[in-house]
Amino acid sequence: MRTHIARVIASIALAAAVSACEGANTNAQEGYAPPRTPDGQPDLQGIWTNYTATPFEVPDPSDNPRLYAGDPDGTGRGTGPSSFLNDTVDRKLTKGRSLVVDPPSGRVPIMAWAEEHRTARLLSIQDHYANHTPWERCITRGVPGGIFPTGYGSGYQILQGPGHVAIVYEMIHEARIIPTDGRAHAGSGIRLWNGDSRGRWEGDTLVVDIANFNDKGNIATNAAAQRVRAIPQTETLYVVERFTRVDENTLGYEATIEDPKVFTAPWKVAMTLQREPDYKIFEYACHEGNLAIPNTLSAGRARDKAAR
Amino acid sequence: MRTPLLFAAATLVVVAAGMPLRAHHAFAAEFDGSKPVKLTGTVTKMDWINPHAWLHMDVKASDGKVVAWMIEGGAPNALLRRGWNRRSVPPGTVVTVEGFRAKDGSTRASGGAVTLPDGTKLFIGASPEEGK
Repeated sequence: MRTHIARVIASIALAAAVSACEGANTNAQEGYAPPRTPDGQPDLQGIWTNYTATPFEVPDPSDNPRLYAGDPDGTGRGTGPSSFLNDTVDRKLTKGRSLVVDPPSGRVPIMAWAEEHRTARLLSIQDHYANHTPWERCITRGVPGGIFPTGYGSGYQILQGPGHVAIVYEMIHEARIIPTDGRAHAGSGIRLWNGDSRGRWEGDTLVVDIANFNDKGNIATNAAAQRVRAIPQTETLYVVERFTRVDENTLGYEATIEDPKVFTAPWKVAMTLQREPDYKIFEYACHEGNLAIPNTLSAGRARDKAAR
Repeated sequence: MRTPLLFAAATLVVVAAGMPLRAHHAFAAEFDGSKPVKLTGTVTKMDWINPHAWLHMDVKASDGKVVAWMIEGGAPNALLRRGWNRRSVPPGTVVTVEGFRAKDGSTRASGGAVTLPDGTKLFIGASPEEGK
């Protein structure tokens, strides 16, 4: 009997470990029906966070974390969070295999030119402000990049009204208003940093199509995204996000990303967000005193002077 | 005495090199991980600005001259969650700050541990792990 119980415990532990490796469950739990808003939409409202120790991609020996962190000569620390054990209030974080769940390798199929473009930009952040990512420039973390977890400020508030869903991002104080009233995308001449979002309900899942991107942004800006950080977006970028309430306290999130000019195939990230009603979304006036840009440029000029 | 000091400095650098930074910009493009500094001086102002807070302090140099230093901290929201508030370091407080000097040679540094007059240590930097 004792052996049997031990086996059961062992198999449960193994199942739990495997599920942690296979990525987040982003589908609704069987039998769970989300609450409804007064106009009958599935209610996704509330404050959610997604602090995690899970790496963005499955790590590979060919990775060059120093480069992705804007630290090619290895003289110091990197940019932004990469992998943390604890969140900002010291809670232990869970670590899965990777946020990238498709392709199954957990590696984003990036074209060589896009990696070269990223490398050239990251090696030259001391030379021109435009070589910094839009996050460092306090413009935007992008879509879907705005929801890629960081070491601080990974809080989101979802608000719903008839015909619209709004998402407030703590980092870097961004807001998206997503029409869900069936209207068409803006004309193809309209090009936006964060694209043009259109939502619809598929059962209890909010599905958001995002098109009309400009070619100025990056698909990811945080160092936790490692090899994918500072990879350019183009006007052919097309993203589909899916938000599903898994249970009362868990929100499933998936984003399928395709850009035939940048990636050889579509790829997908999946993660869960946790409901945290007591989490306070703080103001983050990013451009209030963004001294990092002039200070980085002046470090570059000091470097040039020393080399003369 | 010199050996332990050197050892301490080397340890700081190693710890720094291994730690991810909770910041929104590249540390190494702006600060020099091979130039640790330890400054004792008087707080003149704590600037609670985004994306990074800055602690301003007057430090008396060995020649007696008072030099103004600026110490970069984490984002205000990260510091607040870590226990900082506007009363943590009022102007006039004498503090000791450990950090890394700016690469352009100016009197700026990326901050780490801040020691208050009563010995309390607060961590001002972008990665709390470094404060441990």
